[in-house]
Amino acid sequence: MNVAPSPRLPSPPGCGITTFAFREARLSEMAAVRSEPCPAGGPVLPPRFLRHADEHSVVGLRAVLEALADHPRPPEVTGHAVVSAPCQAGRLTAARTLAALPTGGAASVSPHLVPQCSLHSIAGAVSVALGMHGPHLGVGGGPDALAEGLFTAATLLTGGGDPDCSAAWLIATEWDEEPCLDAAGEPQNDPTCRALAMLLEPIGSPEGGGEDMPELSLAVHMPAGTAGGPRLHEPAGGLVAFTRALSMCREGGALAWWTIGCPWGGAIRVAGRPRKVATARREAA
Amino acid sequence: MSGLSGKHETRRSLVMVTGLGVVSPLGTLATGLVDALLEGRSGVRAIETTDPARTSTQFAAPVTEIPVPAGIEPAEFVRLDRLEQMCLSPLAAAVADARLAATPGRRVGLVLGLGAEHLKTWESDFLAGGRDVFEPTREATLVHRLAARLGLNGPAVTVAAACGSSGYALAVARSWLRLGWVDACLAGGCDILSPTSLAAFYNLRALSRRNDDAAAASRPFDTGRDGFVMGEGGGFFMLERAREARARGACLRGELAGVGMSSDGSHMVAPNTDPTQAARAIAAALADADITPAEIDYFNAHAAGTPVGDVAEAGAIRIACGTAADTIPVSSTKSMTGHLVSGAAAFEAAACLGAIERQAVPPTVNLDNPDPACPLDHVAHVARPRRVEVAASNSFGFGGSNLCLVFRRAA
Repeated sequence: MNVAPSPRLPSPPGCGITTFAFREARLSEMAAVRSEPCPAGGPVLPPRFLRHADEHSVVGLRAVLEALADHPRPPEVTGHAVVSAPCQAGRLTAARTLAALPTGGAASVSPHLVPQCSLHSIAGAVSVALGMHGPHLGVGGGPDALAEGLFTAATLLTGGGDPDCSAAWLIATEWDEEPCLDAAGEPQNDPTCRALAMLLEPIGSPEGGGEDMPELSLAVHMPAGTAGGPRLHEPAGGLVAFTRALSMCREGGALAWWTIGCPWGGAIRVAGRPRKVATARREAA
Repeated sequence: MSGLSGKHETRRSLVMVTGLGVVSPLGTLATGLVDALLEGRSGVRAIETTDPARTSTQFAAPVTEIPVPAGIEPAEFVRLDRLEQMCLSPLAAAVADARLAATPGRRVGLVLGLGAEHLKTWESDFLAGGRDVFEPTREATLVHRLAARLGLNGPAVTVAAACGSSGYALAVARSWLRLGWVDACLAGGCDILSPTSLAAFYNLRALSRRNDDAAAASRPFDTGRDGFVMGEGGGFFMLERAREARARGACLRGELAGVGMSSDGSHMVAPNTDPTQAARAIAAALADADITPAEIDYFNAHAAGTPVGDVAEAGAIRIACGTAADTIPVSSTKSMTGHLVSGAAAFEAAACLGAIERQAVPPTVNLDNPDPACPLDHVAHVARPRRVEVAASNSFGFGGSNLCLVFRRAA
């Protein structure tokens, strides 16, 4: 149907990344994080808030709280949006549920299955935990979740303009290796659940290099004219690599920018603040 | 809250619906869906419960036939799992309805609103004897398979906001169009019934238990309501910027004029009795559409028939619309179709376009005794013919997700 892409190449709107945090926990450690999700000095959550939450929600919320704690000027989060981008969240609960179904029937199905193991559930947990009133949604769900989540978070911030939605959290989560489960749905390995949380805020032109540029910026680039049709997924390289790239870009060293390819041919580029601005700031200081 | 309204002129482009495809318990557009809605027919019926979950709910609103899309061999279509069939059929119908085939060179995106893809696909596989849920595999998600099958080369993303998922898909697609990231965009969503989802909602005590009278079980705003009825189906829209749609002579089914979104931030499961944030979403959608409450000619309520949710929604409408709420016709098509879950918002958006096309408001069936705690201008039992230029639709979901969409008759 649409054999050639549009020749239009809109200028990439940008977002600043004002804080981020990476958190991981082995499955065997999950109970401890679940019962104590908040870092020291963090907000107080209702007791057993994460009791029924999926592992991705547990680690994702912890990453958000650590990113908030790391923010140089902790923001008021009430108006924030939340986008969660998990890769195959909910597998453990789904496996246990299905394993019990033939013998246990309907009564064995937890009422928490749908609200806690759906694509939106991580974003919902963060939104509820921190009392956010911006929109929250889940994105992706598969191997391309990071790219899709970044793309959608940028959509919310740059495609919108509502002053109440001042920032958006992106929480990308994944297992380092998918859990291996026996016939009862019990894990036979001890995989690590990883979460990267970052706070995105709209900025003007990321290419401008102005004095108000944040240390990290993010822009969506759509292809000008790639030939051929769509491609199936192209894994982004994992959260660990992306987090390392964020750190290096922020430090302003050898890595100036990092690009994540999107399955449809577009790209998300994260860049550190242009060096001349960073240098000028250092000299001014 | 976000109205997704842009600061720049290019981001204020009007976005039109130029194609529509629906699969529902009441059939498709081609088989008289809008007639069925206006006649107040019910798609709720007793269902076979020989599934392993042996759920205590003995009724639902199933889709009895999923049309095989043109260009796909029936034998190939049958091999797809039910969720993929349920999405592909209305997607292909929306593409055909938009008649974009004659205009190559466009970048067409896809936003799929789907809340629990993996739960559904793992379950379907398991019930068919598979073990995917136990295996450490990672495969491309449904949205990418659908995009590949339809030959789309624009962005393709799945979004989820529980029962508002397919409505959020429309909101995201409109933003992509306004940002110039796509030239046209398919958006919407569908859902399927499954034994575990029926059981989970039943155990949550969210479902009606009127096993003796299935057709009367879905009764939004009625004093006798006791929960919702699960359904399946949904719809997809082709969205385009107005200028280009008009330039190619597209049939304009209506304008997606307003979007408002918010979150309650109150509870993961329990509906919020405080309608403040839901009202903010409605107000944002009206502001985004640049209309006053009095200009709304029809309000398609989320109203699933839950005791708490319907009262909260009535409160939200009254807060957002003020005294205008006394005269805005309100109905819940879930009384006829059940709750299509991820597909509900898109289906109900299609019902709004049907009301605009036919200049009549579909009814809330089974509304024998309107709950005085839901003081609205209910359209009970029978459709109400009237001028419909603007229609709004609410969708709410787990986690306190609130969405309001406003559609306007194409000028």
